Formats: sequence, C-alpha cells, structure tokens
Amino acid sequence: MQHRPRIQKGVSRAATVRFVIDGIELDAPAGESLAAALMAAGIGTIRHGPMDGQPRSVFCLIGLCQECLVEIDGMQIEACRVNVSAGMQVNRLRPMDPIKP
Amino acid sequence: MSQAFDIAVVGGGILGCATALRLAEGGMNAIVIEKSDLGQGASGVNAGTLSLQIKRVKLMPYALRGWAKWQAMGAAIGFHQTGGISLAFNQREADLLQERMTMKAEAGAPITLISGRDARAREPGLSDRVVAASWCPQDGHANSSLTGQYYRHQLRDARIAIREHCPVTKIDQTDRGFVLHGYGETIHARRLLLACGGWLKGVAALLGVDLPVRARVNTVSVTERGPRIMNTVVGHATGLLTMKQKTNGTVLIGGGWQGRGSPMNGRGLVDRDTLIPNLCLAQYAVPEIARLRVLRSWTGFEAHVPDFNPLAGALPGTKNAFVLGCVRGGYTIGPYISELMGDLILGRDPEMPLFDPSRPFDIETATRRIL
Amino acid sequence: MTYDLAVIGAGPAGASATIEAAKAGLDTVLIDEQRAAGGQVWRAKGPAIKAAPATPEGKTGDRLRAALAAVTADRHFSARVWDIERHTDGFRISAISPTGALTIETRAVLLAGGAQERVFAVPGWTLPGVIGLGAATALMKEQLVLPGNRVIVAGVGPLLSFVAHEIIRNGGKVAAVVDLNPLSVWLRCLPDLIGSPGLLVRGAWWRLRLWAAGVAYFHECGIRSIEGDRAVSRVTIGAVDANWCPLGAATQTYDADAVCLGHGLAPATEASRLLGADHQYDGGQGGWKPVTDDVGRTTVPGLFVAGDGAGVQGAAAAQLQGRISALAIAEDLGLLTTREWRRRSAPLILRIGKAQRFGRAMTALTIPRPGLIEAIAPDTLVCRCEGLSRHDIEAEIRAGANWPNAIKSGTRCGMGPCGGRYCTETVTELACRITGKTPGEFGIPTARPPLRPVPIGCLSGEFDYDDLPIPPPAPL
Repeated sequence: MQHRPRIQKGVSRAATVRFVIDGIELDAPAGESLAAALMAAGIGTIRHGPMDGQPRSVFCLIGLCQECLVEIDGMQIEACRVNVSAGMQVNRLRPMDPIKP
Repeated sequence: MSQAFDIAVVGGGILGCATALRLAEGGMNAIVIEKSDLGQGASGVNAGTLSLQIKRVKLMPYALRGWAKWQAMGAAIGFHQTGGISLAFNQREADLLQERMTMKAEAGAPITLISGRDARAREPGLSDRVVAASWCPQDGHANSSLTGQYYRHQLRDARIAIREHCPVTKIDQTDRGFVLHGYGETIHARRLLLACGGWLKGVAALLGVDLPVRARVNTVSVTERGPRIMNTVVGHATGLLTMKQKTNGTVLIGGGWQGRGSPMNGRGLVDRDTLIPNLCLAQYAVPEIARLRVLRSWTGFEAHVPDFNPLAGALPGTKNAFVLGCVRGGYTIGPYISELMGDLILGRDPEMPLFDPSRPFDIETATRRIL
Repeated sequence: MTYDLAVIGAGPAGASATIEAAKAGLDTVLIDEQRAAGGQVWRAKGPAIKAAPATPEGKTGDRLRAALAAVTADRHFSARVWDIERHTDGFRISAISPTGALTIETRAVLLAGGAQERVFAVPGWTLPGVIGLGAATALMKEQLVLPGNRVIVAGVGPLLSFVAHEIIRNGGKVAAVVDLNPLSVWLRCLPDLIGSPGLLVRGAWWRLRLWAAGVAYFHECGIRSIEGDRAVSRVTIGAVDANWCPLGAATQTYDADAVCLGHGLAPATEASRLLGADHQYDGGQGGWKPVTDDVGRTTVPGLFVAGDGAGVQGAAAAQLQGRISALAIAEDLGLLTTREWRRRSAPLILRIGKAQRFGRAMTALTIPRPGLIEAIAPDTLVCRCEGLSRHDIEAEIRAGANWPNAIKSGTRCGMGPCGGRYCTETVTELACRITGKTPGEFGIPTARPPLRPVPIGCLSGEFDYDDLPIPPPAPL
C-alpha cells in the first residue's frame, strides 16, 4: 500500500521515535496512533480475516471494528487505541492453529 | 375450525424438538410452538459441554446414551470429542474430586483419577497449582448456537409444523383435547407436551397446574480468538467451571455461576459479582487466558425441581398432557430422554425409566392443583 | 462514594451535560474512551500534534474542553465502560481505565455515547485502504494524516462533502465524490436548514470549494466495486435509481488508493439496550433509539440519554440536549427546585427546535433505501469478523431463520469481536427484503456485556484463590 501523507502545512509534531512491527523498524512521531503510523508507513495488511483469510486493515479508527488488531506485550489490542512509543514491539496476528485431534 | 394436530409441543428447545421428531416418526402429526426462536433458550445459550464428569450419578446411564446421540449428529451440530480434565487445587478439592469421580466411574463413565503432573502432560497450559485431577476421554463439546438451525432443518424435513415468536398465552381444555392461543394464532391439538424449560411453571399454570419448577440463571462467557492454549474441556472438582477452546480459537467459559433475573420477569442478566470470580477461576486453571479479551457474557435459564431429577411423564391431573423438563445436564441428555418421552406418548415401553412428575416433592413445594 | 450523576461519553452532549450538572451542584463523574473530550465531531488533536492550524471544529472543541476543565467533576479518559448494572437505588458502572479497573456507583446515569457510523457492504469494502467516512474525520482531525493519495469519497449524507473538503484543504487529492442522493434532496430540505444559517453556509462552502478545485461530484451514483491486489487500486462507480438500486450497465472506473465510505450514523444503543430500556425504530433518527421523553428520560428510572445516542440530530442539538438532561436529572434528584429547573431550562428548550430541525433533516438524507443492498454481490462479505458473505446470510434466512437472534446463532453473524456493529444494518435490510418485515418488526439482537472487549486479566486483577466465592458443588 502507498504511504498515507501526514499533513504538513502549519503542523508541528512530536519528535520521531522508532518502533518495530514484525522485525521491520519504522519511525513515527511519539504519541501518534499506531494505526495512523502504520498507514503513514504504507503498511497495508494489518491482519487477515480469520475465517476468510483476506487482507484487512484499519477501518473505523475509533476502536470498534477490531480490524486493526495487533499484538503488543502478548495482548491483542486495536492499533487505533495505542500511541506509538520508542522501542514499541508490535506483532501482527498469526493465523489460528487447528485443534489437535 | 383450523386443523387439529395429534400433539402440540410447547417449547422449541432440544427436548421439545427431539420429542416432536420421535412422535413424527411414530406417525403423529405434531406442531412445535416456541415463544422466541427455536433453540434460543437454555438449549442454545449453554456452554455446549458434553462432559460426563459433570453429570449426576443417577443420570449417568442417560448421559452416556445422550452422548452417543450427539456423536451421531456430528459436524452438523459441531460435535468434538476432546477429552476433559477436572482440577483440584487443594487437598479438600482433591478429596471431593476422588469421592465424586469414583461414584461417577462406578455409574459407567470412563473417568480415571490422575496426578497434577499427568494433567499438565495432557494439557500443558494448565496451572502448576493443580494438585490432583480426573480425566475422561469421552468428554467434549458441541456448538449450542447451532441447536436452533439443526432442529429447524430436522423439523422441516420431518414435515413438523413450527410456530416461532408465538408465546402461548392461554390454553383451553375441551372434550377433544386442547386449544392453544398464541400470538394471533389458535391451535387445536388432541395432546399436549410442555417442554418449555424455565417457562414450565408459567405455562403449566395456564392449565391450573402448579409445578415446583425454579430456574437457575447460568452465566457463560466467550473470548476473542486467540492462539491455541488448550485442547480439552477443563473443569473443576466442584463442577463450577467448564472451559474449552473452540476450533475457531475462541474460549467458552461456563460452570453455572448465577446471574440475576427469572424467566417470568424477562431476560436474565449477567451479574458482575459472579462473572468476575468465574473468570478468575478460569484464569487460575489456565493462566494464559488472562491475555484474551472477553467479547460477550450472557445467561440462560436452567429449570430444576427440588430433587434435581427430571420431570418426564404425564402432567399431574391433566389427561393427555405431558411434561418434559428440568433435566440436569439437559444438553447432553436431552436428545435421548426426548426419545424416551416420545415413546411414552406413543404408548410404547421406553427403554429406560422416566421420572414421574407426580412424585412427591418436599411438602412445601409438592406438585398440587392451584384450585 | 456514590455520585449523583455519571455521564458516559464526553462529546457535545456529555461534556455539556457535565458542565451543566457540576454548575447545578451535582457530584458528577465523566467517563470517555477517547483520549480527550470532544467526541467524534469536536475531536481533540492527538498527543503527537504539537501545533496545527485552527479549524472551526477544533476551536469549538477547545472552547468546550476549556469550559469542562473549569468545573468541578471527576473525569476519566481512555476509560472503557464494559458494564452498567442497576444496583441498589442507582447504578454500578464497571470500566477499565489506564490505571486499572474502575467501579463507579451513581444515583443517575446519562448515556451520551453518540452515534456510530453505518457502513453498508459493497464489493471490495474489506480491502485495506477502505475506511469509514467517520474514520476519515478521526484520522484527519486527531492524527492529521490523510486517508490516501487519491481518494474516492462515497456513500450518503453530509459527511461526504466535509471529508472531501478536508482532504483537499489539507493538500490531498479526491478522485471523485460519489453520492447516492440526487442534488434535489438537498434543495428539498433547505427550509429545515435555513434556521441554522451558520451550518448551512459551511455546507455550501464545502461544495463550492470542491467545485472550484475541480473535484468530480456525482449525484445518484454508487460504488459498484472496489478492486485491488491486497489494497485498493481501482473503484468502479455507476448510476443508481431513486431507491439507490444500481441502474444500467454504464460504469466508470477510477484509479484510487483509498475509499472513504459511509451511509450515515446510527444511535449507539448498546448501553441503553443492556440496561433494558424500551427502544423504537425511527429511520429518520438513524434507526433503533431508546424511547425517551423531551428531557431524555428513558423507561428505566434514573437512566437518561442525550445526544445522538437518543436519535441522531447532530452536535448543536446534542449540546443543548445534554444541558437540558443534566438539569432534569438535578431536579429529579431534588438538587434543583422545579422553579429553578424551569428558569434554567427554558432558554435551552427555546433554542433546541431549530438545531433539531437541521439535524433531523441531515439524518433523513441517510435513511437506507431498499435498493442499497442490490449493490452487494453474493460473495461480498457482509460480516467482516466471521467472514460471512451475502449468500451465507441469505441462505440462513431462507432456511427459516427469520429473526436477528436466530440468524446470529445459525451463522455467527454478529458474534465476532465488533459485536455486530458493522453487519447488523446490512443483515436487517437483507432479512427485510426476504421476509417482508420492516426493520422495526425485525428487531435488533440482544445486547450483552461487556460493552467493549475486556482482557480477562484486567477483570480478574490480583486475587487470592481462597477468596474466590466458589459455591458448593451441584448435587451428586
């Protein structure tokens, strides 16, 4: 996916910090929502629909749709409800393992 | 006059639908009348546990036969045999587990007592605080949400009439049988079966019969999908926990913690004061679930009578009327006891004894005529 | 301690109500899941933004936030309410805040949860790059990030021009605006808008700027499909008839890397439904809404609703409603004399009519029309969470599942993590088409706690096993 532009005209932002998603290092202003930071970085697919396997990304941006769910510190959380901080480690969700017989 | 059915079944849960199917097989023209949607009461909102470890000793033979029915229903109802583990976290619970599981094993369930270490070998996600456990390879689960869909198809295939969203508000007795008045409907039937679970007391009262039925308000919760953290049905020595991770990754947590409300006063409500300890107990058993988010908690009404045995037989003092309900462990046992009930109504000899609703209960709550 | 009033939601209605209640002497607590007060419409800028040009919404929001800061009331932001129960003579609210679990006891509750976006399925709407119209406003207002480099803005209602205008104002590019409504509906509701000239002028200004910037604005058009390999790259649009049903084979395809899609707003009713208040269907106010009197009293004693959550009427009306409800609560609790209630509420009641007229006219533009679902292909996903297509849902309805809970149980539609927020409307329209029911007859699935997903670890907290109130075992 193409980068989503940050609006620049007349805007000043907090200092840039580095965070990591699945081993990819990205920069974003401290305190930007992770969802916005991923959009700005051109990260398209945030997860796959668990039943249909199709790529999904940010959709509602207000914490309801659950499409931007990621894993941080072992917890599943909506990227639109997390602020980027320095050194943050983000993992995208992996597909489910099937039940063992 | 509208068509007269051989039998009207009030209640579209497992008991009502499965009995109607048996009656239709026996040549009766049946109608199932349901106040909401088929399978949306206890039959459809319970945790779907098919565990012999939480069945009553006296009902074990019924549970074993009921289990076989679920196995035969298979994928259409989401049947999975995973095995189940019940846990004890201290010596008192270990003693309780030993006493209860020994009796259940003697009643025919393939339950063995195992050590905490063996339990963790079978289920690595278990807490290391388990001191003793029991194991039953036959335990498993089905998807209770599919109850309505499953029986709707079965009833349609058997050409059994269905009325949904049709609460019965009045029942008249005539020399030819019964006239049921529902939501803009008048239904004539020669016989009547009440199989409406938590609503039995209210519906029987329409015939002037006071059944000593009360309802428990059982709470169930489901989490979001997560990585696989358990494979079996995880329970507790007291029976106050059932937990399993479904194939889609969600974890279903039950155990009969009590919410609020009653069938006659509308819906049941989740009570935070029982929901939270229910979840604590689940987390104590499998610590990894602390990471998962609860998506939904709900309640279902489970009917019971003072002796906690089923009501299955003739409705006291009312000719050609029958009642089936209050089956503790009714999800597992339901499909089987319904066949017995159908046989009784068809005039056949049921394979196993039923539970006469006219038996004496304790003096305060014994079945009696209102008038 | 027990509060007099807990206000849930710090948008125009909730923040205004909190200010009014605090001034009337009520012990008030305000809870909101966002980072700051303002709601969706007057959303505050995120912590990454140190300075940015002022906007009318930003300025109004800043004024509201300043007024809120000046009154004495407890407040909890980034706090998610997951349960509200009736408790003794009032209510008990359970929330998860950044500092941990929160339990609040209160005599009265004012729900000011606002509206939620309504987005009907169209082929390709699950592709990365498609976001809601409301989502686009949040992204631009709070994060100052554009939704894409070449954006299609589509759907229905006043947010279309606002979002398109915001994109070009901030230096972005809009490929086209695609509006299901004809231009004439706007002209027809002019009499209702004239009473709020400020808002009317702003709306007209957005259109003028779009026109001046050469942005194509198509009326009576809808999206036929959104395509792309793992993200949006092409959008095909086509004409619709007066029922919003796709009309004719002629289509036009645009290159675009983003779509902002929305079909109006619906009251967020999960909390009022959970508490068992009576609800009614009113398409002209966004669909299902709690039954209330003029001051926001629901059928549950002590429970009030104000703002879009009581019926979508817009921010101006919400602000007044919030204040009126706060005063009514103060009177109900005996903290304001009837005379004083009349004195304080009369000027607000006088002003609310015009605002409501404007808001309702805007909402009326978005009442779903039956042709809308004809744009959904059989294999288009309707339930995003459970991956269910239109075909899956319709098969279940045709098999006899004719009511919300039956469809939900049989298919899992609405059982996923979004709680049915983005499929219920589409399912309702599909079911009504097959069964001949109206949305009001069809009904709405039962609301259950938690109101938002909550980690089990947050609910359990620190506990001692021996303190768990495990009941005695069931009889053997």
